[in-house]
Amino acid sequence: MKNSQLYKGSLNTIIMKLLEENGKMYGYEITQKVKAITQGELNITEGALYPALHKLEAEGILDVEIEKVDNRMRKYYKLTEAGTKETVNRLAELEDFIRTMQSLVNPKLEF
Amino acid sequence: MKLTAPQIEHLFIFTRQHYVEWYDLQSELVDHLANAIETQWQENPKLSFDQALNVEFKKFGVFGFMDVVEKRQAVLSKKYNSIVWEHFKDFFGIPKIILTVAMTLGLYLVLKFSDYREYIFLGTYLALFIVMFYELYKNHKATKNRKQSGEKRWLFEETIHNYGYFGGILGVPLNFMVHIFNHPETYLENEYWTVGFSFFLVSLILFLFIIFRIIPAKAEMYLIATYPEYKLIKL
Repeated sequence: MKNSQLYKGSLNTIIMKLLEENGKMYGYEITQKVKAITQGELNITEGALYPALHKLEAEGILDVEIEKVDNRMRKYYKLTEAGTKETVNRLAELEDFIRTMQSLVNPKLEF
Repeated sequence: MKLTAPQIEHLFIFTRQHYVEWYDLQSELVDHLANAIETQWQENPKLSFDQALNVEFKKFGVFGFMDVVEKRQAVLSKKYNSIVWEHFKDFFGIPKIILTVAMTLGLYLVLKFSDYREYIFLGTYLALFIVMFYELYKNHKATKNRKQSGEKRWLFEETIHNYGYFGGILGVPLNFMVHIFNHPETYLENEYWTVGFSFFLVSLILFLFIIFRIIPAKAEMYLIATYPEYKLIKL
C-alpha cells in the first residue's frame, strides 16, 4: 500500500464504505475497486486486506456469503445491520480527521 | 480466459505448500489468486500460468500467506475465548448457579471437616491434571489422524479441538497448589481461604468441562455459524 503508515488506520473504513456502496464484494474485487477509484494511487496489499476483513467479520461488522463461481468457491463480504450503523460513525470520524489534518497542514492564518 | 479445474486444484496445492493447511483459508486465497491470474491474462494472454501465479504470490510479501494465516488464527482464538467465557458465565446464571454453589459448598464442607483435607485438595487438582493430559493426548491423536486422512481441515474446528490457548493452563498454579498442600494449617484451616479454594477448584472443573465436553459437542453448530461453506461441503 502506498504510504502505508498514513493509509493503514483508514483501511477498515475504506472497506466499509465500499461495501456500503456496493452491497457485497469479494476480496480481490475490493483491491481492484480501490485501485480503479484512486486511479492506481492506492493499492491495498493482500497481506493487509484479508486480516482486516477477517477482523471486521469477527467483530460482527461484516457477514459472509459463499457462492460457487466458475469452478471455485467465492466468499462475499457484506455489512451487517450493526456494520451499516458503524460505517456512518467511522465515516464521520474519518471526515473529522481529514478536516483536522487539513487545518494543520494548510492553516488559514488570521491576524 | 478462465482457469481450468486442474489449475484450481494446483492453486490449492500451492497454498498447502505455503503453509495454509485449512480449507476455509485455502479456498479464499485460491479464488483471490485465480481472479488475479485471470486479470493478468486479460492484459497479457501470453503469460504462462506459473509466471502469473509467481507475480501474484509476490504481492503477499516476503512472508507469503503467513500474515493472513496468523491474523486469522488470532481472530478465531479470540472468538473461541469469548465462546468459553459465555459458557462459563452460564454457570453463574439461573438455573446452573445452583449446581455451581452446590459443588462449591460440597467441596468446602469436605475440606473443612475431613482429616485428609490437604490430600483431598491436592488430589482433586491432580485428578484434573490427569483428565487434562488424557484429553490432550486423545486430541493429539485425533488431529494426527485428521491430517493423515487428507480430509478438509477447518481452522476454527482445530481451534476448538486445540482448546484455543487453554491446553495446559492447569500447570500454571501447580507451585501454589503444592505450597498449600505443604502448609495446610495456614490455608485450609482458614474459612475464607477454604471457601476461595473450593470455588477455585470448582471453577477449574467447570472450565475443563466446557472446553473438553460442552464446546466440542456443539462444534458443528459453531462451524456452521462460522463458515457458510461448511454446510455445502460437509453435510
